[in-house]
Amino acid sequence: MSTTTATVTLADLTRMLRESAGEEEGIDLDGDVIDTPFMELGYDSLALLQVIGQIQREYGIEIPDDAVVDAETPGALLALINSGRATAA
Amino acid sequence: MSLTQRSAVVRRLIVSPGSAPQHSTAPAVASAAAVSAVLRAFGRPPEDLPARTVVLLGATAFDGVGPAHEGFTVRTEATPGRALRRAHRELHEGTADLALVAGFGEPDPWTITVYAVKRAAEAVADGDAVLGVLDVTTPADEDTVPPLRPLRGNPRGTDPDRHRLVCWSGRNADDEMRVRDELLPMLSGVHREVFPALPATVPCGTPPGPVRGAAVTVSALAARSVHKARTTDASHPRPVALLFPGQGSQHAGMAAGLYRREPVFTAAVDAALSHMGEEGPRIRADWLDPARAAIDIDDVRRAQPLLFAIDYALGRLVLSWGVRPTALLGHSAGELVAATFAGVVSLRDAVAMVMARVREAVKIPAGGMLAVAASEERVLPYLTDDVAVAAVNANQQVMLAGSKGPLTEIAARLKADGHTVVTVPATSPFHSPAMAPASDAVEVAYRAIPLREPKMPLYSGYTGALMSPEEARSPRFWARQITDTVYFRKALDELLAADDVLLIEVGPRQTLTAFARRHRSVRLGAGAVSPILPARAGTPEADRQSVLTAAARLWTEGHDLDLNAVARLWTWSEEETAPAAPRVPAQAQAQLA
Repeated sequence: MSTTTATVTLADLTRMLRESAGEEEGIDLDGDVIDTPFMELGYDSLALLQVIGQIQREYGIEIPDDAVVDAETPGALLALINSGRATAA
Repeated sequence: MSLTQRSAVVRRLIVSPGSAPQHSTAPAVASAAAVSAVLRAFGRPPEDLPARTVVLLGATAFDGVGPAHEGFTVRTEATPGRALRRAHRELHEGTADLALVAGFGEPDPWTITVYAVKRAAEAVADGDAVLGVLDVTTPADEDTVPPLRPLRGNPRGTDPDRHRLVCWSGRNADDEMRVRDELLPMLSGVHREVFPALPATVPCGTPPGPVRGAAVTVSALAARSVHKARTTDASHPRPVALLFPGQGSQHAGMAAGLYRREPVFTAAVDAALSHMGEEGPRIRADWLDPARAAIDIDDVRRAQPLLFAIDYALGRLVLSWGVRPTALLGHSAGELVAATFAGVVSLRDAVAMVMARVREAVKIPAGGMLAVAASEERVLPYLTDDVAVAAVNANQQVMLAGSKGPLTEIAARLKADGHTVVTVPATSPFHSPAMAPASDAVEVAYRAIPLREPKMPLYSGYTGALMSPEEARSPRFWARQITDTVYFRKALDELLAADDVLLIEVGPRQTLTAFARRHRSVRLGAGAVSPILPARAGTPEADRQSVLTAAARLWTEGHDLDLNAVARLWTWSEEETAPAAPRVPAQAQAQLA
């Protein structure tokens, strides 16, 4: 198990959040969203799991399942991904 | 005796029967004309009274009064005292939801005293002006009019560190800033014991202005919170619509932070539980002490009755602030709560419908439900056996339901294809064909229940549109909800297309709030949504803080709240102040003795 070197930026995350919401039901992510709780952005746990799944596939990393519980904001999720807790799959 | 076992007089007036001379001295005789006078005295057409309204006449002299009058059951008793006691019995045996009692010859031989009597907990929950509760225990003499006892006074909360709401307003932006600047030194200087007693609005005594601010805070942080609070333009308040969540939103100890800490919520929960028979006290015990619960909260026998009680009580709480919603929408089991507020069904009958549904659901072989982050079209090709689309909640959120085996297989195939799948905490495959026997059985039970057309816009997740009067009155429509798909997204679409509204989710968690936030109307800021409880289980104080935040949201939207009613969230408490004595097991007690 090696620590990931991939770095996910806020722009990457915002893009994936947008994609996962689908074309019709986008979310307003233009403002300062880094510390806005996912719930307030319209992402419940299922929607967030979907985004996390996508990050895992795209970056070839594994994010622990409890990330959804621990990371309440985009900032917290990015910190978790980039801190090395996420491991290369 | 608790509130749920009492009967409350919510109206009392003295009438002179018929067109008799003003100063008649002839004794009042119960006649059809006299009954008409009694009903007219209430100034409400019969269709606005509950379906189970009983008219009880207490009179020594009768003049051919028939058994039915203007659609109501009319019964006669020999004296006003007997009629009032009978009203109490009928209310608690469930044969009546409202009793209009006419005491002929009270207080004078030629007058009639008319009482409107309801179950006391429902009167408090409904926000009725309770004149008093009937004391039927004394005296033993059946003919004496039972005395009215005052409702127990407002118990005061003693904890000065509770969250409270501070609201202020100004005629314009400058005025708002001036008011806020006057508020700040007052808040920074106030002793924490005095903080809860400060008025809820500033300036007080004047009508609130259109530029508003609000803060939910504790004494120590009050000045800072008020200083930091955003100013909002409240000149065009959007109407309020209530969203009632269904199964899946439950969690252990949900909303327990409000129980015995807010009088309307408490009375409403107790009223709902009081109609659940022997299960009522067990459900309450499991709710308030989840660690010792006999049955898990995710079991249909707990999830559905408790969600009903809590959605209902939260709705009553919001109404008690003076909020008058213009539309209602419930998700799955939440639709029945919405129907109760729309006047389709009485509280007692709605609870009977929930309990019938639960009773039949447990007979169905255990199944389950899945939430899938995909569109309906995407998941349809995966369906096999009895697995069906249970709900279409949002663009990328559908739910599946069916028997355990096929459901597990489908989940595996969806995951293999890269879909995100989460198991929903449910023991019954609701909204799937597997529930058909339960649906057929409850339809028979529902036929005995009086159903009326909605008195206000009620949206249905089953049609994805406004509920028609015919649908509302159809036992089959309600029974089919157990097997049919919930089109929540479509119903929400219709609701938001009709008007730009402020949606308030009155239930645990924020499931429907999340769906609404993804809706175009809310995303563009035309509509808005505010949950009333936290997204996840937390402390009792977090429950109260969250409810106050919703009240603050209504205030900054421009709605004028009854802030004395809201203030009970930080001034009222029925909880024992002394810590409960440690429990000593029976065996240990014996040894100690």
